[in-house]
Amino acid sequence: MANETEKSRRVSRPRRVPRPQTSNEPMPPKLKILITVVNRNKAEVYLALLQSFEINMQLAMAAEGTADTTMLNYLGLTDRDKAVIFSVIREDKEEAALRYLDEKFRTIKNGKGIAFTVPMTGVIGVAIYQFLSNHTEGRG
Amino acid sequence: MKKTKHEVIFCIVNAGFSETAMDAAKEIGARGGTVIHARGTANQEAEKLFNITIEPDKEIVMILVPAEIRDNILHALYHEVGLDTPGQGIAFAMPVDRVVGLSEPPVKKPTE
Repeated sequence: MANETEKSRRVSRPRRVPRPQTSNEPMPPKLKILITVVNRNKAEVYLALLQSFEINMQLAMAAEGTADTTMLNYLGLTDRDKAVIFSVIREDKEEAALRYLDEKFRTIKNGKGIAFTVPMTGVIGVAIYQFLSNHTEGRG
Repeated sequence: MKKTKHEVIFCIVNAGFSETAMDAAKEIGARGGTVIHARGTANQEAEKLFNITIEPDKEIVMILVPAEIRDNILHALYHEVGLDTPGQGIAFAMPVDRVVGLSEPPVKKPTE
C-alpha cells in the first residue's frame, strides 16, 4: 500500500525537461538605463561626456529639484533648475561610466549631480538592440 | 560607487501636486527628489464612460530612496496623492543597481 502511494506520487511529479543546447555563443550584453540628474546648465556637458561610453541614445528633459530652499540658501545654491538625462548603456560599460560620472560630479564646478542605473528587462527588435548596445560587428 | 539597496520611486501626479507628494515622502525619510513636467494621455472613451476628467498636465516626481523605506513612502504617497485624492497620483518603485553622487546622510547626535 505504501509502495503504491509512493509510486503514484512519483508518477504525478512533473518530469524535468533538459534545456536544449541551442548554441555555444556568449549571451549578448544586457542593457541598463542610466539616469543622471544634474544642473540644467551642465546638461550639454554631461550628454557629451556620456557619449564616450558607447551610448547611442540619450533623452534629456528639463526638471526641478525639490531640496529644501533654506538649506540651499545656506550652501549658496539657489538654482532649482535641473536636467534629467536618460541614457541606454551596455552593462559592461556601466561601472566605468558611473566611476567617471562620480569623478566629474566632484571636479566640475557647479556640476554636482546624482546618477544611478535601472536594469532593462526587455527590448524588441534586433536592429533596436544593436543600436542601443552599439553592436558594430559585421558592419562596414 | 555604491552598490547599496536603493530604489527609485516614480510618482505621477496632477500638475501642482508634486510638493504634496514630496512633503509626504520627506515625512518618511526621503531627502530630495526631482520633478519632471509631463502630459498624461488617458483614453477619452473611458473618460466618457466613467464620467471622469483626467487632467492632462502631470508632474513626475522621481525620488531615490533606501529600499527599507520604500514601502512606507509608497503608502504615504497613496494616502496623500493617491487616485482617490485631487492629486490623482500613481506611484511605483523600480530597482536600482548602482548609485553615485549621493551625499552621506547627516549623523544624528544622540538626544539627551
